[in-house]
Amino acid sequence: MAPAATLDVQVQPSNGEPSRTLPKPQKEMTKAERRELQERQRAAKATKQAAVPNGVNGKTANNKKPTEVTQPSNVPAQRKERRASRAADTARPTPAPVNKPLQKVPLVAAADASVEKARGLRIFAHFGLPKPASIAKGEIHPTIVRLALQFSNFKITGANARCIATLTAFKTVIQDYSTPPHTTLSRHLMTHLSPQISHLVAARPMAITMGNAIRQLKLEISGSDIDLPEQDAKNALCSKIDHYIRDRIIMADQVIQETAGSKIKDGDVILTYARSSVVEKVLLDAHTEGRDFSVIIVDSRPMLEGKRLLSILSAAGIQCTYLLLPALGSVINEVSTVLVGAHSIHSNGSVFSRAGTALVAMMAKRHSVPVVVCCETYKFSEGVQLDSFTKNELAPIGDMFSSFPLTKPRDALTLQNRPNLEILNPLYDLTPPSCITAVVTEVGVIPPNSISSIPLALGRLL
Amino acid sequence: MDFDYSTTKLIPQEFLAIVLAGFGNELVPLTGNYGDEPSPKALLPIANKPMLEYPLVWIEQSGIKNVLLVCPTPHRSALSNYIQSDSSSSFPSLRIDLQTYDETQDLNVGTCAILRHFAHKIQQDFVLLPCDFVPPSSFSLTQLLNKFRTETMYDGAIATACFYEGRKPEKGSHTDEWGLLPSPVPIVWDERSGTLLHIETPDDVDRNGEEIELRMSLLSRYPRARLSASLLDSHVYVCRRQVLDALQQKSRFDSIREEFIPWLCKPQYQRTKRQKYGHVLSPSANTINQSLALKHSTVHTAPVQQRSREESLPQSPPSDGQNEEQPRSLIPFLADDDEEESMLASLRVGLVVQRADGGYAARANNLHSYLELNRHFLSQTTYFLPTDQESRSLIDHKAQISSDSMIGHSTRVEERTTVKKSIIGQHCVIGKMARIVGCVVQDHCVIADGAKLDGCVLGKGTKVGAKAELSRCVTQCGYEVSAGETVKNEKLDVSDWTATPGSSEEDEEDEETSSEEESD
Repeated sequence: MAPAATLDVQVQPSNGEPSRTLPKPQKEMTKAERRELQERQRAAKATKQAAVPNGVNGKTANNKKPTEVTQPSNVPAQRKERRASRAADTARPTPAPVNKPLQKVPLVAAADASVEKARGLRIFAHFGLPKPASIAKGEIHPTIVRLALQFSNFKITGANARCIATLTAFKTVIQDYSTPPHTTLSRHLMTHLSPQISHLVAARPMAITMGNAIRQLKLEISGSDIDLPEQDAKNALCSKIDHYIRDRIIMADQVIQETAGSKIKDGDVILTYARSSVVEKVLLDAHTEGRDFSVIIVDSRPMLEGKRLLSILSAAGIQCTYLLLPALGSVINEVSTVLVGAHSIHSNGSVFSRAGTALVAMMAKRHSVPVVVCCETYKFSEGVQLDSFTKNELAPIGDMFSSFPLTKPRDALTLQNRPNLEILNPLYDLTPPSCITAVVTEVGVIPPNSISSIPLALGRLL
Repeated sequence: MDFDYSTTKLIPQEFLAIVLAGFGNELVPLTGNYGDEPSPKALLPIANKPMLEYPLVWIEQSGIKNVLLVCPTPHRSALSNYIQSDSSSSFPSLRIDLQTYDETQDLNVGTCAILRHFAHKIQQDFVLLPCDFVPPSSFSLTQLLNKFRTETMYDGAIATACFYEGRKPEKGSHTDEWGLLPSPVPIVWDERSGTLLHIETPDDVDRNGEEIELRMSLLSRYPRARLSASLLDSHVYVCRRQVLDALQQKSRFDSIREEFIPWLCKPQYQRTKRQKYGHVLSPSANTINQSLALKHSTVHTAPVQQRSREESLPQSPPSDGQNEEQPRSLIPFLADDDEEESMLASLRVGLVVQRADGGYAARANNLHSYLELNRHFLSQTTYFLPTDQESRSLIDHKAQISSDSMIGHSTRVEERTTVKKSIIGQHCVIGKMARIVGCVVQDHCVIADGAKLDGCVLGKGTKVGAKAELSRCVTQCGYEVSAGETVKNEKLDVSDWTATPGSSEEDEEDEETSSEEESD
C-alpha cells in the first residue's frame, strides 16, 4: 500500500529544491513532516500556475519534467503512481495534515484544470494535437498555403487524396519556379520545395503515400538533365508527376477493381469500414459489371466517412446497410467478405488504417470471414510497425466533421475538454497480419506475410 | 549570391489589397474644403490617428504586401504625403500603390466603375476594403482570408464577405440634424456553412417595400437559412480574380455594395444565372485544380450535374447538413478521368459574421459612427500627461483633464480648463476656463477662453471665439465661431459664414472629400 502522501508526480519536482526555508534537512524529517512540506510546495506552485494560464502547454512542461525524487520513501510510491497513470486524482487525502489540504483545495482546484489536462494527454503526448498552420510570410507558395488549410480543416482526407493533392500542388509550384542564377534546377528546386513540404507537414503529419511520392519526386528532380532548357525540364517533371499519379494510383486502382471485383460473387454480403477510395471504386465497378450483392457499411465517429460512402453507393443502386462500429457483432454472421482499405502497409504485414479497422478485422477473423485489404503498392512502407501508439495522429477537438444532426444547437452537442474529461481521437490503428486474409494490390493478391516481397515484385522500384 | 532575389521572384503574390478612399459625403462638413485644399475622408483622425491607418495595419498583419489605394484626383497629394511621412511607420512592409480617378464632389463615380477601370492592375485574387472600416482587435484579416482560401479550393466559392453586428446607439446621443442613421439592410444567410445568400437591395425595396422575395431554389438548397436585419456590411470582400470578369459584363452596375454583391450571391442558387455566368466566374480550362484529389477524398461527395427535375430522385444526400454544398441530384461516381475532370463549382459567396461580443467594429462613414468610434477608443486607453518636456509645459497644471480623454502633441491647455471624454488633436490652443465634454477636436484648433463645447466635432483649424457655446455641432475645417455665439445641433459650413476664411496661416492639411458611393 503506497503511503498516501505522494500526490501527483508531474507537478512537483520542487522536491529537489533546496531546503532554504526549512529548519532541518529533509532526510531528518519525519514522513508526516515531509508530506507537509510537499503539500506546501505544491500549493505554492499551484497558485503560481493558477496565475499563469498555461493550458495545454502545461503538458509539455509537466510531462517532460523528470520527477526528481530526493526522498527515498517516495520512490516506490511514485512508481506505483506512474503505473496508475491518468486516472489518478490530485487531492488524495493525507491522514496527518488534514486541515492543510482542505485549505489548499480551493487554491489547488483552480490549477487542477490545467494540471489534469496536462496529465490527461500523457498517453499521446508524443504526437499531441495538430497545430494550426502558421504562414511563414512570403516563402510559401499560395497553392501550398491553401492546400495546408484544406488539410488542417480536414477537407481533403484519405491517403490517396492527400497524395494526389500534394503532387498537383507541386506541379503548380514547379511551373511557377524559375532557377536563380548560378545554380541548376536539379540542385536548387529541392531546396525550394523543402519549406513548402514542411508547411504541409505542420498542417497535418505526412502520410506514407505523400512521403513515398515526394521521395520519388526528389529522385526525378535530381536525375533531371542539366542541359535541358528550364521550361522543358519543368514540363518533364510535371509529366513525370502525372505519370506517377496515373500509374501508381489510377491504373493501380483499376487493376485492383478487376481483381477484387472478381472475388465478389452474386448474393454476397460485403462489409466495409469507413470509406476507402479504392473500396468504393471496387464496389461501384462490380455493380456496373452486373453483380448482385449488398453492402454493409460500418462507421464510427468522429469522421463519419461511411455516410458519404452510403450516399454514393445507394445513389448507384446498391443495397446498403449502415451501422456504427459497436453494432458490428449483430451483423457479422451474415457477412461473406470484408473489404477494407489502408493508409499504408508495412514490411511485417501489418496494415495501418482508419481507427476501427483492426476491430473489424479481428471480429471477422473470429467468425471466419475473409478480410481482404485493397491497397496500391505505393502505400508500402519499408518500416515495421508494431503498434498504433508510437505513430498516430489525433483529430482536433470540435465539430469539424459535422458529426451531429442539427436538432439541437451545435454547442450543446460538441464535446469539449472539461476539467474531468479529456477527449482523444486517434485517427489510425494497426491491424496485425494474423487477422488479414489477403492483400489485393496491382501486382497481385498477396498473403500478408509476403508483403515484404512487394519491392521485389515491382523490380525494386518503389 | 542574392538570396532575396530567389524567394521574392519564385513565389507569386497571393492577394492584392484594394483600399477605396472616397469623398465621404455623409461626413460633410468635416470633409468639406479647408480653404482651397481638400480634406480627405481617409485622413480624418480617429483617436488622433488617421482613419486610413486602421485598415492598413489590419492588412499588414495578415501578411498581404501589395496595396492598391484608389482616391479621387484632388486628394492625391494629401494621401501621398501621408503615406510617405513618418506616420506610415506603423505599416512598414506594405507596398502602397496610389492611384487616382477623376471625380468631383458633385459627379459621383460608382465603385464598380473604379474597379473596372483598374481591372488591368489586378492579376490575382483581391481583397476590397473601404478606408473607413475599423476592425475589432480580436478579428484578424487572416481569418477571413483562410475561409476564402479553404472554400475556394474545396468548393469553388467565389467570394467571402464580412458582416458585423452594430452596437445599438445610446439614447440621446443621436441627433437628427446630423443625418439619419443608415438602417441595416436585411440579409439572408446560412449559418452552418457560412454562406451569404441574399441581400436586399434598394431596388428590391422600391419594387416591393413590404415583402422580401426569395427563390425556392435558395430555400431548398439551404433549408436552415436565417434572416437578419441587424448585421451591417463591413464592405470587406475577398474575391477571386474571375469576379472582375463578371463585373466587366455587368456594365450597368454602379455600386459594389448595393448592386454587385447582391447580384453575385445569385448564381449559387439560380440556375439561369449559373448557366449564364458560370463559365465566367469559374473557368475550368487551363487551370490546375484539385478535382482529382477531391474525388478521392473521403469526406467529400462530388457535386454533379443538376438535372431538370430534382424532385424525381429516389434519394437525397444525408439531410443533416453534411452535404450542404451539393445539389440534390447525384449520378454514379465516375472513375473515368476523361469525363468531368472539372468539379462543378458551387459559386458560393462565403460569409463571416463578427458578433458584438467579439469586439467593436464599425465603419466611420457617417457622423454618428465617427463620433462613436472616437468614443470607443477613448474607453480603451487612459490619459497620461505627456512625458516630453515641451508638451508637458504647454499643459497647465491647473487644467482638469479627465482620464478618459486624449490630448495630442504640442497642444496648449490653459488653466482651469476642463476636458472630459474628449479627443483633442495636435497643435491646438485651448484657452482658460473652457469646458470641453465629449468632443472630437482635430488638429490646429483654437478655442478661446470660456468656451463651452458639448458633443461637438470640430474640423481642423476651427476657431471658437470666447464664451461661445456649441452643443452637438459639426464644423468644417477652418470655420470660425464668433465670440459669444450659441449654436446647437447644427452642421456649420464655411459657406454659411460670410467673413473671409482665415485659414491661410494654418498648415496645408485641409482636404476636401466629396460624395463617394461607398461611404453611404
